[in-house]
Amino acid sequence: MSVNPFDARTVLLAKHAQHVVLIHFPIALFTAAVAFDYFAQWAKSRTLAAAAYFNLLLAAVSTVPVVATGLAAWQWALEGQKLKGILLMHLVLGCLSSALIWFVLWIHLRIRRHPDESLPKYRLPIEAVAVLLVGLTGHLGGFLSGVNGPG
Amino acid sequence: MRKSVSTAVLLATLGFGIAGLGGGTGTFTARAQQKPETAEVKIDNFSFGPSELMVPVGTTITWTNRDDIPHTVVSTDKLFKSKVLDTDEKFSFTFSKAGSYPYFCSIHPKMTGKVVAQ
Repeated sequence: MSVNPFDARTVLLAKHAQHVVLIHFPIALFTAAVAFDYFAQWAKSRTLAAAAYFNLLLAAVSTVPVVATGLAAWQWALEGQKLKGILLMHLVLGCLSSALIWFVLWIHLRIRRHPDESLPKYRLPIEAVAVLLVGLTGHLGGFLSGVNGPG
Repeated sequence: MRKSVSTAVLLATLGFGIAGLGGGTGTFTARAQQKPETAEVKIDNFSFGPSELMVPVGTTITWTNRDDIPHTVVSTDKLFKSKVLDTDEKFSFTFSKAGSYPYFCSIHPKMTGKVVAQ
């Protein structure tokens, strides 16, 4: 397939490059955020807690273009046809992962408005589940793109 | 009189026989011409096999996804487009006009193939 540099669709979605590239940001940032948060909890370090918060904030923000490009690829490359199998699982898990990342950010944001309160411990298992979901979504995405596949 | 009747019967039998033979041959020829040509393309390991296929006009090609990954078959010229094919699902298209028809998988655009109908 020839690539036309003046065709917006081709430029934005050529080989779904944007989705595949952008997805690495929330994965890396959220995983780092959770690691910092666990260390902050263990070491009772405010510096590590701050690092966790800013990584988490960037992770949440970076889910927006990732979800947008994923949905755009579905609508444009597959013309929005009904998904099933791995594609459907990838879509559902991707949305769930993004929602969980925002939920974890909300927990952190809520406490930051009240500096005298400490972060609830129940966030830690939620963060762990979110990391697992993000990993599973990424694995399915890699499988779909061929990175994790037999090819 | 008897001889002429016998000759008439013989000629009639011969006539029917030749007509039957001719009709039979005609039917056979028509069937041979109408027999639809088919060809298969397998999708496996992120590739179309064979990636290039030359077929007579009127051939129906069936793509079968033998991969564990969903794929699509989409004509570059938007002449045909399959739904997402899961493992072992098929898509068929009949090439009724001569020409070159490049196609690709819209999920994995690096996967390309071509059908030449002539």
